[in-house]
Order: sequence, then C-alpha cells, then structure tokens
Amino acid sequence: MKAGTIYDELARGGISRREFMKICGLLAGALGLTSVPPVDVNAAYDALRKPDGLVNLVAEALQTKPRLPVIWLEFQDCAGCTEALTRSHDPTLVNLVLNTIDIEYHETLFAAAGAQAEAAKEAAIKKYAGQYVLVVEGSISPGSGQIYCTIGGRGSGDLLQEAAANAFAVVATGNCATFGGLPRANPDPTGAVGVMDLVTDKPVINVPGCPAIPEVFTGTLFHLLVFGAPPELDSLKRPMPFYANTIHDRCLRRPYYEAGLFADSFDDDGARKGYCLYKLGCKGPTTYNSCATIKWMEGLSFPIQAGHPCLGCSEPNFWDGGGFYQGQSAPLLRPAAALAAGAGAVGLVLGAGMATANQAQKKRAHPTEQHKE
Amino acid sequence: MNWLAILDFARGPFFEVALLVFIGGLAYRLMRILLLGWHFDRIKPAGSKLGGALISYLRGILIWPFIPWVRNTFSKNPVIYIAGGLFHLGLFAVIFLDAAHILAWQSLLGFGWPSLVTPIVDWLAAIAIVAMILLFINRLVNPVLKLISGPAEWLNLLFVFIPMLSGYIMAHHLFFAYEVNFSIHMLAVDILLIWIPLSRISHFMFYFFARAIHGADFGKRAVIP
Ligand code: SF4
Repeated sequence: MKAGTIYDELARGGISRREFMKICGLLAGALGLTSVPPVDVNAAYDALRKPDGLVNLVAEALQTKPRLPVIWLEFQDCAGCTEALTRSHDPTLVNLVLNTIDIEYHETLFAAAGAQAEAAKEAAIKKYAGQYVLVVEGSISPGSGQIYCTIGGRGSGDLLQEAAANAFAVVATGNCATFGGLPRANPDPTGAVGVMDLVTDKPVINVPGCPAIPEVFTGTLFHLLVFGAPPELDSLKRPMPFYANTIHDRCLRRPYYEAGLFADSFDDDGARKGYCLYKLGCKGPTTYNSCATIKWMEGLSFPIQAGHPCLGCSEPNFWDGGGFYQGQSAPLLRPAAALAAGAGAVGLVLGAGMATANQAQKKRAHPTEQHKE
Repeated sequence: MNWLAILDFARGPFFEVALLVFIGGLAYRLMRILLLGWHFDRIKPAGSKLGGALISYLRGILIWPFIPWVRNTFSKNPVIYIAGGLFHLGLFAVIFLDAAHILAWQSLLGFGWPSLVTPIVDWLAAIAIVAMILLFINRLVNPVLKLISGPAEWLNLLFVFIPMLSGYIMAHHLFFAYEVNFSIHMLAVDILLIWIPLSRISHFMFYFFARAIHGADFGKRAVIP
C-alpha cells in the first residue's frame, strides 16, 4: 500500500477497514454506472465481473491513488453549481467523493484572496502538471479584447487556456461552462462560449444542468479518479451513465402523457392530480439528464415531481429554445401580424398583376369576346 | 450531429419563412382565380343564389360524408371513397383537435380551443395513414388515375404522408430519439407549407369557394343537383 493514498488519509482519520469497504460500496454507486465503461483496463473488466467487482475496483483505487487534485475556475457564472455541491449534507455520496478530491484552487471556497490566491493557483498548476482535473464553472468571453470577464486583470479566455494546458482532463459544470448558458442568451452581449468551444486538445467532459446535479458531477470526477479516464460520452460530451435518457423517458408523469391527460394551468384539477406538464411548457421530451432518477436533495424530489415543467437546462440554447411556459409543439418563431399581412398583400398584388397581364393578352388574342370584370 | 440545433431551425426561422410563403402564395393563387373573369350569365333568376350556396355547403359537409351511397362516386369505388373520407377526417382531427397542435395554433393565433382526447386523435391519425397508403396504391393501379397523375400528384401524397407518419412515430417515441423525430416532423411540415400554394393541396381553401359558386349557380336556376 502506497503512502499518501486516499486510504491512508482515511485511516489516519480513524476509519476502520470495515468502514472503508462500506465507503467503497457507497462510492461505487457514485459512479452511476449502468454498464461497464469503455476503459481499456482489463483488470477493471475482471474486477467488474466478480461479485462486488466494482466495490473492489473502487477499494483498489482508493488504496493506490492519492487524492485527485482539482483546480476550479469560475467565469461568467452564479456559483450555483458550487452552491449545489456544498449544500449536500454529510454523509452523502457527494460528500464522500469530495473527500477523495483535493481542491487546490476555488474562488468561492478559497480563504485566500487577491495575489495570494493567484499565486496558489500558479503553484498548483506547476506542482500537479498533467495530473489535476480542471473544473470550469461559468461561460467564457474570449472576444472583445476579453474585457467582459477578468480576474486579477486577466481575461477569461487566457485564464482558461493557461489552466487547461497542464490539466489531465477538463470538466465543464453547469450549462454556462458547457453551452454558454444564461450569458449566451440573446442578445449575448459578451459573446459567451462554453469550454469545449475553446479547449480542443484535452478531454473535455460536459456536466450541464442549471445547476449540475451534484451526484452527477461528483460521479464524473470519481470516474476520472477510479479509471483514470473519462466515462463514455455522448455527442455533446456528456457522460453516458447520467445523460443517456431523457427526463421524459423516466418521468413519473409519463403515464398521463401517454393517456393524453394534461394540466392546463398550475392550479387546475389536472395539476392537482399530477397530470403531465407538457402543455405548461415541459421540455422533458428533449432533455437528457438524471433529474428523474437521481433527483435532488438526496433523492427527495425534482422539478416535475414538485409540479413545475422541465426547463431543459442540460441542453444547448436552453434560454432561447422557446419560452419556459410555452408548449414544446409551438413554433419558436412566428411572423408578426404585420409581416404576415405584408406577405398576404404581396401575394394579392402579384396575383392581381399577373391576372391583369393575362387578361390583356387574352383580349388581344380574342378582341370580340365579352368579359365581365 | 446536434439535432436540437436542427430542431431549433425547423421550429424557428425555417418555419417562419415557410409560413410567410404559405400565406403569400395562397393570396396570390386566390387573386389569380378571382380575376380569371366571369362569363355573363343572362339567365333570369329562378331561385336564390344564397340559398343555393347554403344547400351546396350543407350537402358537401353534412350529407355526402354520412350518407355517401347517394353518390355515384361511392357506388363505383366505395373503398376509395371511404379511404378518402377517413383520410380527410383524420387529417382534420390531427391538425385541429390534437393537444400538441392546438398549442401551436394558440401561439400563432393567440387563442386555443379544447382538444380531443389523445387516444382518439391517435386512432384517427393511424387510420388516415393507412388510408393514404390505400389511396397511393389505388393511384398506382387504376389505369385512368395513373394516366392523369403527374409528378405533382405523387409529390402531394409524399409531402402529406411524411408529416403524418413522422408525427405518428414521434407521438409514439418509435425508432429514433425524440428530437430526431421531432426535427424530421417539423422539416416535413415546413416543406409542406411551402408546397401547398404551389399544388392542388390548396383545394382545402378553394373547395369552399367552388362550392359557393356552383351552389349559387344552381340556386339561381332553382335546380338541386
Ligand atoms: S411532465 Fe414533462 S417529462 Fe413528464 S411526461 Fe409530461 S412532458 Fe414528459
């Protein structure tokens, strides 16, 4: 057993071997694995085939690896993802995972400030080069001379590139860091972009949500720790274990959807009976995330369960992809009445012009025939 | 491929343009037909034009669909008559009485109306789809129909069939991810909107004019066709 491993630290904290194995079992759940990940570690496959395989795999990782160094950058964000993480109480899965990582720099959680904090970050980037995971919260504004988001007088684009250059993987948390989020909403004054638009030479893992689900975020980090590689990702770089299904696929109101029973307003009979919220603007059918299964507040509830339609916060363009309370079947753009009337008028005028020209031609051809106009 | 971006395009700018083409195109067609010129009709009125038009509507909408055997077309080819009728009924129910579509109408017009329960709309849609297939086969095998069917007729069938089928597939979450089905459905609807003014599908509008004019002619002559 190597010195300085996570297990060592836990043991120093008075955790017995039995408790350690229990923790490993819980943490295996944090991986949220629905299938064997595509990591080319034969040992991993073998371990997974055995009963308690995943637990053993986790135990082995914790006994051989030091805590995962993490550098956390915040740009154009609200710190909601951080907030969601820190609000989870002991002893949750989230908390257990947080014990296995080592946050070297985090603007919101850091005691240090100003030049001190910046120095700590630089030191961490050097010390853990190639080992740390860079977590990014908030969108980046690389254009306009980077004037819209600066920290210590430096632009967000530069700060991201600097920290990403030495990272072993980059995890973008929340809709802002993944797809631009709220800052990118029309008219997008800052030219906001997500991490994957700028970092192309490192593995980027997107954990969107507004905020990201804490269990999904920590599960992803933990996957990096245990397997040393990102989980399988979808086309938007989201971890498949957590983003393979839509909210609609796993929604508790789905039977009502199938039966065509909808709430028409937030306080009608249908709403009280728990009917489907499609008509109230639910974006569940096109939203991939784990809200309906992992839920929030330690599995207590999630928006749709509480009576609010899904906003689609884990998808690109979520602010401009239709009104939150507008049914998804409604068009996103519709011509203004004046424009529609204009199109009609143009049609009428063109039609009249064409008809007149035709009639004139007809009269020339058959001058004697009588017509009533 | 990011299907959500395609979906946003199909529900957004493409839909807007398609709708404008639809409105402008139908206005153009209407004007062209209204200004075709009318022949003098020197017959002395023997009856009411308005009454004739009314009777014509009532027969077209209330009588023929429900007691079709009074018509020649029915007794000659009942299967096709029924398929045509059910297709139009299904189409009407899907477009105007389906909950999801009413939401679309509501956003366009500013007001909505009660929907028919989903399972009924669903069955009518399925029936309409089967009816379309029957009509297609009929067009394919009937020698006369085959003779008078140009590319436009086949395209008419195709451009109505794809939105119907993709909508059905989407409503039942079959084959592809929801956003993929949704995108295909919306793209097909946009294309249909542009196609309608260019094609004989515009009969959905001209039908009412034609009935009124023929009805008035018959009414004036006091004949009941
Ligand atoms: S509430 Fe939303 S996610 Fe749930 S069934 Fe209805 S449309 Fe689907």
